[in-house]
Amino acid sequence: MGYSACAKDCGLGAYVSIMAASISGYTFSSVCYHSANSNSDHEGFLLGEVRQEETLSISDSHIGSSEFLNVIEVHNHEPCTQLFSFYDYAGNVNEENLNRILKDRRKNVIGWYRFRRNTQQQMSFREQVIHKQLTHILGIPDLVFLLFSFISTANSSTHALEYVLFRPNRNKYNQRISLSIPNLGNTSQQEYKVSSVPNTSKNYTSVIKEHGTEFFDKDGVMKDIRAIFQVYSALQERVQAVCCEVDQSERVKEKIQEEVNKLKEEITLRKRNSAEEERRLQEAAAVMLPDNSALPDSSHSSLTQVVLSGPSVEPSLERPVNSSSPPIYSTTLPPDSPSAILLPRPQAVGSPGHPSPSLGLGNGDGSSSDSLNRQATGQEDQEDDDEDSSEYENLVSEQLQPPSLTETVLLGRPATLWPDGDAHSPPGS
Amino acid sequence: MAVSAVHLESDAFLVCMNHALSTEKEEVMGLCIGEHRLADMTGRPMRVVGWYHSHPHITVWPSHVDVRTQAMYQMMDQGFVGLIFSCFIEDKNTKTGRVLYTCFQSVQAQKGSEYERIEIPIHVVPHEAIGKVCLESAVELPRILCQEEQDTYRRIHSLTHLDPITKIHNGSVFTKNLCSQMSAISGPLLQWLEDRLELNKHSIIKLQKEKERLTQELASL
Repeated sequence: MGYSACAKDCGLGAYVSIMAASISGYTFSSVCYHSANSNSDHEGFLLGEVRQEETLSISDSHIGSSEFLNVIEVHNHEPCTQLFSFYDYAGNVNEENLNRILKDRRKNVIGWYRFRRNTQQQMSFREQVIHKQLTHILGIPDLVFLLFSFISTANSSTHALEYVLFRPNRNKYNQRISLSIPNLGNTSQQEYKVSSVPNTSKNYTSVIKEHGTEFFDKDGVMKDIRAIFQVYSALQERVQAVCCEVDQSERVKEKIQEEVNKLKEEITLRKRNSAEEERRLQEAAAVMLPDNSALPDSSHSSLTQVVLSGPSVEPSLERPVNSSSPPIYSTTLPPDSPSAILLPRPQAVGSPGHPSPSLGLGNGDGSSSDSLNRQATGQEDQEDDDEDSSEYENLVSEQLQPPSLTETVLLGRPATLWPDGDAHSPPGS
Repeated sequence: MAVSAVHLESDAFLVCMNHALSTEKEEVMGLCIGEHRLADMTGRPMRVVGWYHSHPHITVWPSHVDVRTQAMYQMMDQGFVGLIFSCFIEDKNTKTGRVLYTCFQSVQAQKGSEYERIEIPIHVVPHEAIGKVCLESAVELPRILCQEEQDTYRRIHSLTHLDPITKIHNGSVFTKNLCSQMSAISGPLLQWLEDRLELNKHSIIKLQKEKERLTQELASL
């Protein structure tokens, strides 16, 4: 397990406190999945348990001391369906909203996480503000923050997801903890023995034969094997059963989502039609002169010239399925633009690439995507521009160009990508 | 002709990542089911269009063997693509963990020379609901692991010259390995499924409310 150590002297003998953190591969993948489905940053809460385990002293130099292992276990995550769901632009946390999101899981919160694209591996100012408040409101002194950062090569062939677990409430030297992902590790099939240790002792042979039979059933199969296989079968059956339930729920969810989308389209259409109707009537009324000299022909022609400039049309909620045209790439920046180095164009993972020139103070163009449009689960109200826009923390440059739909030049974060070969650390990460 | 881009649906991405993160001691592999899309596509049956494998603790770039394997696949299907997931990487200094993925094909630089890789753009495309096929793939993993273990054990078990102690030892190895699989894979998988079910239930309630609200709104127009 990864660890960071800090030594303290409590007067009774030194003890070493080691931090270890873990998250299951399934929870980790799930966060990646939810992030992939978001067209902006994604965030949520980490639920789990923090334990302290005392371990036996491990070496001569530690005789007379105990070792405490502080274990941070992330059990699962509670994704937020949209940004700003429990805080505002200034970073003020709304406890009511927080409770509504967490419900009875509030007591299991051990931290929160954020997924951002093309940004520094450090907390933004707003994130720090939010973190302090969450610490206070939730009453968790050692609240952790897991930051995911996503970067891609210029041609989008290779992508990297970096993650760091912070303990912002600790001093500078103890802030980062290694996050391990427990796994099968060694499948240990090498541990099977294909031969027995040679032994000519008759005593040995007779004793192990006589008492060893306990372990085998009449067919010569080890009883343990049957027993453990039963456990495995029962478990797999249950996995299958719950999987079926999940599948059903996914279909139901899909269906209702589609119905909701259709309703929204229908409403927009109706509104647009009635707005047109309004205008047509007004035009007609305007054409109708007080002396009733309405000329059918001219009024007819003026009616047909009604321009459709109406309320913003609800963007189509269809996912672009046709992939003959490559997905929308982001802005082309002039090659020598200084911001090209500081500000990689956000890309990949389905992002429409709408950087908003936000310095953490709020959204600029409030760009809800008008090109690639998706609806996150449970995300309501597409008409509310702000909540949907990509929000990129730590943007330094103001020289952002409005996104254009060209497919050519795509600037990644040049210095940190690995043209030939080794996955070494990007500088400054 | 090289593939111009690969779209990986996010639920398929989820399954690949689950698989890659299942073990850090060996490479895992799987096949990608999908379809080729051309400008004037009508429906076409799904088929195997690529392969993926993991690089635990190693660089994401394909090895010479990987490039050669990919080239072999391409002989059968020019459009076959290769994906690699690199995981269990950590920068000890910054405590930064990393998961990378890349897409590639192989090309022969000159006649008779070794193959080299060409990079293929890959995009993970949002897919709000998890498809049935993906769910089934996910729950297949523990089954495959158990099967592999049984196959190995059966071969060992058929060795008749082993003394009882050795047989007991081997039986225990099987038991131990199955226990590892259950606690490392089946357990967390089951937990994730339960959490997903819970999340979906809440989403459905929310969506129902929205549907009612919208229905009313529509009726009033």
